[in-house]
Amino acid sequence: MGNQFVLIISSAIFCIGAVGFLIRRNPLIMLMSVELMLNSVNFLLIAYSSFLQTLDGQIFALIIMTVAAAEVVVGLAIILTIFRTRHDLNVDHINVLKG
Amino acid sequence: MFEITYEIVVLVLGITAVLAAFGVILCASPIYCALYLIGNMVCLALLYLLYHAEFIAAVQIIVYAGAVMILFLFIIALLGGKKEIMEPSVQRSSALTFVFLLFGELLLAAGVGPTKPIQGDLTPDVISAIGNAKAVGVELFSRHLIPFELASTLLLVATIGIVCLAKFSNPPARRRAK
Repeated sequence: MGNQFVLIISSAIFCIGAVGFLIRRNPLIMLMSVELMLNSVNFLLIAYSSFLQTLDGQIFALIIMTVAAAEVVVGLAIILTIFRTRHDLNVDHINVLKG
Repeated sequence: MFEITYEIVVLVLGITAVLAAFGVILCASPIYCALYLIGNMVCLALLYLLYHAEFIAAVQIIVYAGAVMILFLFIIALLGGKKEIMEPSVQRSSALTFVFLLFGELLLAAGVGPTKPIQGDLTPDVISAIGNAKAVGVELFSRHLIPFELASTLLLVATIGIVCLAKFSNPPARRRAK
């Protein structure tokens, strides 16, 4: 498949993730939308590293996976801490960090 | 007879990944969103296989579809997967407009056509001769050592942050206000 197919699929998944991040109110689903966006960029990097015959894209994708894993773990820990103090899972109601 | 070619497999996997992404953002219950996200990640891992990135495909399955998504499912089970009522609002419609504009711009950018190719020398034959995981390892530990060390530092900082969040957690708000 050509370059354009990869670009279109990747930008479609990125935009779906952006929509999810903007319209959902559950912080867990917002984190999942961030994962969608990161994954779409990973796909683009890997497909292009195959087209251009270098391995730099795969190295970038590995680093992005590390960052994403750390981000998910810290994000889930923060959500869990907020839920323990407030018993509420809606980002509209979380407008101050002070418990 | 209908023939299954490489292009058709890539096309079907890509479309399935997009549909699963729609499932992630449209399901009301978080548990279904997580399951759709696993489907999306498996589709992307298969696409990585088709683009000659076997090592990254394995990492994607183990780290993402395995570890990260199990963590998500565990947290959803812990917090209770309550359904979300989605009613239209001004913010939502403006967000949709913004993202549609963004998608249009990305499609325009994708339609520019072939850019100037920068060809490396690692063809699929060369990579499969030395092995994909070995090639990635050699590249990672020779030319990209500093990003690798920074990533390990990041993981260490994340670990310390989670220990702090878990150990020194504040008592509930009402009790502290007294």
